[in-house]
Amino acid sequence: MKNDIKVQRAIHNLTQANLAEMIGVSRQTINAMELNKYVPSTVLALKISSIFKKSVNEIFFLDNND
Amino acid sequence: MKSRFLFSHKFKHLGWILFSTGFVLGVILLWNDIEYPNWETNVFPLIGSNDIFSSTIFEWTSNNIADEIASILIILGGILVSFSKTKDEDEYISKIRMESLIWATYVNYMVLVLAIIFVFDLSFLNVLIYNMFTVLLFFMLRFHYVLYKSKKLTDEE
Repeated sequence: MKNDIKVQRAIHNLTQANLAEMIGVSRQTINAMELNKYVPSTVLALKISSIFKKSVNEIFFLDNND
Repeated sequence: MKSRFLFSHKFKHLGWILFSTGFVLGVILLWNDIEYPNWETNVFPLIGSNDIFSSTIFEWTSNNIADEIASILIILGGILVSFSKTKDEDEYISKIRMESLIWATYVNYMVLVLAIIFVFDLSFLNVLIYNMFTVLLFFMLRFHYVLYKSKKLTDEE
């Protein structure tokens, strides 16, 4: 699975630390998701989508490996 | 996120104190063939021993309890260090935790199997002594190393 978190973060002018604090996770989690090393739970994906005011499908996409 | 079976973060420090105290005491004991420090105390063993071939049941005897204290400190401290939440425990850290636990179990039993094949007689007793603690030790090393690495990677961003 891929995601657009880094781009969305730039658009909203948020650092990894800002976003981490807003959704109550560690900074490592944000970084690991942006590096496609970690697939978040549905709860976390929904929290992220609500921060960026977009639907989950607009931020997270399936890739060829899924 | 709710994580089941984990202690609160405040126990982590206590765990480190107990673990290192037990570790130092254990090393001192191993240096001195488990004879010093000698804290001889009356104990009530469930199964005692007269000699190698016969055992006694339910009889008071005396024993140096320093090694028992060291073992319990290491186990209790190790459990608290391993299974207290980190300051920012979340689902990704829980995943690192679970993977480290699986890894530690594999490594622990790999080492034990090698020791079973290559270590014999009384020397094997030493292997058993270490093996009481190695699964916790391997977990602690791997879990904290991966956490440290991912923290460093994040700081570089």
